[in-house]
Amino acid sequence: MALRLGPLRFPWPGRASAGDPYWDFFVSTPPSDPSNAVTEIIRRAPEGAVFPAKADLHSPEITSRHIKELARYLGADLVGIARLGSQEAESGEGYPFGIVCVVRADYDPRNAPGVGGQAPAQNGQFVTFVLSAYIRELGYRATTSGDADAERLAATAGLGRLNADGRLVAARYGSRAHVADMIRTDLPLVADG
Amino acid sequence: MRETLEKPAETKPTGNGTRASQAREAFASPPNLGRTVRVVGPVINIDTSQLPHPKNQRGELGKALFNWYRNTVSKDPFVRVSAPNHFADRRNYLTTVIGQAPKGKVNPRRVLVSDPRAMARHVKRVARYLGADLVGIAPTHPAFLYAGRRYAQDGTTGDAYEQLSPEELARTFPYVIQASTAWDYRTLQAHRHHIGDASYHVSQMRANMILKALEGYIRELGYTAIRGVANPQGAGLAAGLGELGRNGMLISEKFGARVHMPDPILTDLPLVPDKPIDIGVEDFCNICRKCAITCPTNSITFGDKVVHNGIEKYKINWLTCYRLRPFVVDYWTSCLTCVTVCPFTKPNVWWRSLAVWALRTCPIPARPPLVRALKAIDDRFWGVVRQTRVRWLGYDSGIKPGEKACTVTGCTAAHDEAGRSATAADRDIGYYAPLKENTNRFVKRDTT
Repeated sequence: MALRLGPLRFPWPGRASAGDPYWDFFVSTPPSDPSNAVTEIIRRAPEGAVFPAKADLHSPEITSRHIKELARYLGADLVGIARLGSQEAESGEGYPFGIVCVVRADYDPRNAPGVGGQAPAQNGQFVTFVLSAYIRELGYRATTSGDADAERLAATAGLGRLNADGRLVAARYGSRAHVADMIRTDLPLVADG
Repeated sequence: MRETLEKPAETKPTGNGTRASQAREAFASPPNLGRTVRVVGPVINIDTSQLPHPKNQRGELGKALFNWYRNTVSKDPFVRVSAPNHFADRRNYLTTVIGQAPKGKVNPRRVLVSDPRAMARHVKRVARYLGADLVGIAPTHPAFLYAGRRYAQDGTTGDAYEQLSPEELARTFPYVIQASTAWDYRTLQAHRHHIGDASYHVSQMRANMILKALEGYIRELGYTAIRGVANPQGAGLAAGLGELGRNGMLISEKFGARVHMPDPILTDLPLVPDKPIDIGVEDFCNICRKCAITCPTNSITFGDKVVHNGIEKYKINWLTCYRLRPFVVDYWTSCLTCVTVCPFTKPNVWWRSLAVWALRTCPIPARPPLVRALKAIDDRFWGVVRQTRVRWLGYDSGIKPGEKACTVTGCTAAHDEAGRSATAADRDIGYYAPLKENTNRFVKRDTT
């Protein structure tokens, strides 16, 4: 987008979709073959093994800081760590912590099934895949499978509040925030919030 | 001057002789690759089996390199999840997951393209939306296509068009889309260190994911997209992403040499191609030899361009560049020295844009004095080689290579004995190993 004043053009913020006849197709048309969608490819991928030797870690506060730094480096906009309560089913598997990553989302991936609409989910998966693989390579268990209510735990970790529909509303992004699959792990961390 | 450093493989015979000859006539004129690279003679398409990694996979480069490529698990946890071939479990490496996924089918309901210009804008917008930092479209030319089978370093290959010759492929798929991501500037400063590896490898994984998504999207539009068939640098030059430097890297306008060149997409989607750009790399590389001076393996030439396989360019010695790797695997995976020292590699900020703008708008005969001035500024403020101390996660490039120490402020963990062998640097200098004097012992400068 640019603002024109006679011969001068000034950059002006605007929607990426302005004047693009194919943008609706990009955002809203679901793929005819799921193999064309990267989100589906990553979702189907099995998780790798845990590295047999545990890495020499720093103290839990420092490790939490590093994990958050890495998540931001990989493209997450907000990262929080939540302690999984004893009443939750996942604690039966012995995962004390959940790492919640939030990416900015122009479209809600739940309502926009196109390749473009799924882009926030794809960015979120990039972060969670690499981060959980990294924790496994550190020698600790980490899994992204299973649909724990990540939005509620994101609110617990202090990333925002839940609105009436149970959606996360973050301070900087409002409801235009996509909560990626939660990583459940037994890496020694310190919970936020 | 004509020089052939290695014998390229023969082109593959094609099925249909007359169609192939017609196609060859259509591409009689050489492709426009900008000022830095000129096609001056007949180009023999390189067989993908003769590329460095496939040669090494077959063990043709010696035991040390073969073992480095095939049998080395990295000691560093982040390298194990981000670098090709050094994982403990390949399921933890995203590029393998994406590369080995089955290819999707072309959508039978094709989206009609009435205005290729609008579609070209759309495809670029899509690539940027998915996270690419640079994207361009080039007209396909057989000169930068591979012969033989499809190339994939880590993934499945093969498609229905493998029998076509490069000329026929270029006729069938008239456009190449090249998109790329830039490496993070701050972590790149710790090149020859696992911190610099992270900068390179994270961008590489991301670029592979973005191009896979873009490839899938083109199939969803109802058009064919094939990979592993075009030389990434050639496609990037023709698409105007940058110019080829002395270090053999594509140097872009916004990011300098710190851009990854992934495997481009060949497609029959109606588009409008871009043109090569001129940002003064030709004039700069004529004068500046920073990369050649600092290359730890002396693989970059101090001399002029040579004609290699009909292409006039600066030719690096890829074999010596490659041969260093088994020696340094404990300290780093990707060297990146030539990228980091390149004066074009700077943060994408206004003073950098100003310098490139000055270079770009300056008439060509007046450029050498400007280049000398810019290089003097670069030498004064950035030095001959970057030695910035970078702390990232638990890594610290201020710790001497081979030593272990915890320099994280406030860490109260009881590290094991190796963790307390600590002689942490007290100054703000990063150590990147091995230094040039060490590598000079086993990689001699090419005197020819």
